[in-house]
Amino acid sequence: MDLKEKLRILSDAAKYDVSCSSSGSRRKSVQGQLGSTENAGICHSFTPDGRCISLLKILMTNYCIYDCAYCINKRSNHVERAAFTVNEIVELTINFYRRNYIEGLFLSSAIIQNPNHTMEMLTQVVKKLRNEYHFGGYIHLKAIPGASEELIHEAGLYADRMSVNIELPSDASLKLLAPDKKKEEIFKPMKDIKQNQLMHLEERKKFKKAPVFVPGGQSTQLIIGATPDSDLNILSLSEKLYQKYSLKRVYYSAYTPVNKGKNLPDLISPPTLREHRLYQGDWLLRYYGFKANELLDEKHPHFDTYLDPKTSWALNNLHLFPIEVNKAPYHMLLRVPGIGVRGAQKIVSSRRLAPLQFDDLKKLGIVLKRAQYFITCNTKYYGIVDIDESKIRRILTPQTMLLEENNPYEQLSLFSLNFLPSSNLSLNQPLNKSTILLEDTPTALTGEL
Amino acid sequence: MLDYLYDGSFSGYLTTLFYAYPLKEEVRIYKELTYSPSLLTTSKYITTEEDKSERVYQSILTKLSYSTLDNLYNIYLSDEVESETLGLKYIKLCYHYGDDINLAKNNDIIRTVDLTCKRVWKEVHRFYGFVRFKEIGPLTFYAAIEPNHNILPLMMGHFKKRFSDQNFIIHDQKRHCAMIYNQQEIYISYLSIEDSHQLAKAEIRDNFEELFKTYYKATTIAERKNPRLQNSWMPKRYYKHLVELD
Ligand code: SF4
Repeated sequence: MDLKEKLRILSDAAKYDVSCSSSGSRRKSVQGQLGSTENAGICHSFTPDGRCISLLKILMTNYCIYDCAYCINKRSNHVERAAFTVNEIVELTINFYRRNYIEGLFLSSAIIQNPNHTMEMLTQVVKKLRNEYHFGGYIHLKAIPGASEELIHEAGLYADRMSVNIELPSDASLKLLAPDKKKEEIFKPMKDIKQNQLMHLEERKKFKKAPVFVPGGQSTQLIIGATPDSDLNILSLSEKLYQKYSLKRVYYSAYTPVNKGKNLPDLISPPTLREHRLYQGDWLLRYYGFKANELLDEKHPHFDTYLDPKTSWALNNLHLFPIEVNKAPYHMLLRVPGIGVRGAQKIVSSRRLAPLQFDDLKKLGIVLKRAQYFITCNTKYYGIVDIDESKIRRILTPQTMLLEENNPYEQLSLFSLNFLPSSNLSLNQPLNKSTILLEDTPTALTGEL
Repeated sequence: MLDYLYDGSFSGYLTTLFYAYPLKEEVRIYKELTYSPSLLTTSKYITTEEDKSERVYQSILTKLSYSTLDNLYNIYLSDEVESETLGLKYIKLCYHYGDDINLAKNNDIIRTVDLTCKRVWKEVHRFYGFVRFKEIGPLTFYAAIEPNHNILPLMMGHFKKRFSDQNFIIHDQKRHCAMIYNQQEIYISYLSIEDSHQLAKAEIRDNFEELFKTYYKATTIAERKNPRLQNSWMPKRYYKHLVELD
């Protein structure tokens, strides 16, 4: 099989891993050697689905000894199979990198022979890149669940980021859909990586020259919509991961139905709206000081389809509002729907010189459409309706905004998630296809909520 | 109305600021090369004077701040029609109210300055990714770009650091200039389109472009197609030099 065929098969097989980020690492570049990393990450291209291409994201092989129900590469599937040699991966990476196609390599693999063997092969690739080619670009390496601690440790000396995909957000789901994988085996490498990071940080305090260990931190991915887990379960899990394992990012991947199976939901298309709400919720955890249990609870375990999580929260906590933009502390400004991190910073900066007028707010990038109901400006309230939950809710709920691919029939069919509020949308009416883009779509990407 | 014209260099621009600043009358500033005269305005060409330019530079640096000087440089590099005039208004504002006026994110001039700088840096950051090299000799690479802003000067550090062991040319075909690096030095110099055709002829035939196209196609998730989103990240105007798109 020629290289092009292999590349086609093994990048196709890797594409459902959503993380392509090249951020967070500050490996020092060396004059006379190839490569550098950029703390903010760099996108080199964008695919027609709107995702960033930053890394050469491939599997080393898609031959697998396991049989996870949701996975296209599972043992019992009849798909094209291929395997790269170490040299092929190194050649591709170096030559793509020299042409500025990529930031580096994201190498993952299905499980061949056993976890240790697989991890060893992956490590060989990164070792060759770093030691023989002195490659200083970004490397994201999968830690294979079940691989030994020593192997994980060795790999971590060469990678910028490592990740272990949890994929399924609960024990029950894991047993159902990935019977070969054990929860402990997934969390074990995470723990190892975290401990090694701490250890190396300590060492670097003593010796400047001590090696770095996974400087870009670790991340994971959760599949959304393949199992009945609620948004509350998922977001609480993320919260724990950020706290306990100091994860840099949790990625959410709307389940794309690649297989059929009795334990799998019958989705017609991936639940991308739900994924979108989870990303918004995730930003609120990481940058806005929210806790998962403030945003969702047992009574409301799912995000509102129609309102972003921050607006939902504010409406449920209307007694805290309105706040005065010229006085409110930064952390309260952050809680106002329509005021993002940058907006809040600009408010704090500008009001040091003179009190802000209401007209100024728009210039600072505040989305007044949402913010007006939650603030006063020089004690005056500018909302076009009274501060009343149902009135504001009515006015902020879009009339037609369902994404085409998020047609609720499809999501409801299996788990009957209580996604549809008993509102103004009749299920029997054809959806208006011209209004398929959510107004708040970019917020899940920029984090300005 | 009075239009001041200059040679397009940053020194030239600073010299122009030197003469325009004290005037009561409203002055607009343009590059001579792209200026189209009109009947209603008088125009005057300002010759670059290094000492005047240096005085303005030092004055901004000491009386205002490094970051204000930096903003002015970015405004100049934005290469937008009214940007030089915006720079003049900005400097006037800063001298009048003091450098702290930069905090007033609600002030219209400050806001326009911030937005302009942001646009420029957004494009710089985009081109960290969108530059596509072709190999035209052993370890020697050429790339063509056509950015909206004059971003080459802002991209030098990044590319030098990253590709320090290869020779490369990044050619701004719109402005006929190129960033050239020979594993030692990096500089910007004039380069015509004709010259670049010569260079392109030397391209070494390899299949990495083909392989990258294969990768680009295979990594797309068809079920999630969203051209609007794609376009917002990677506007069509950049497609011409992106080898993976055709
Ligand atoms: S281990 Fe499971 S998820 Fe991974 S490649 Fe094999 S079948 Fe797919």
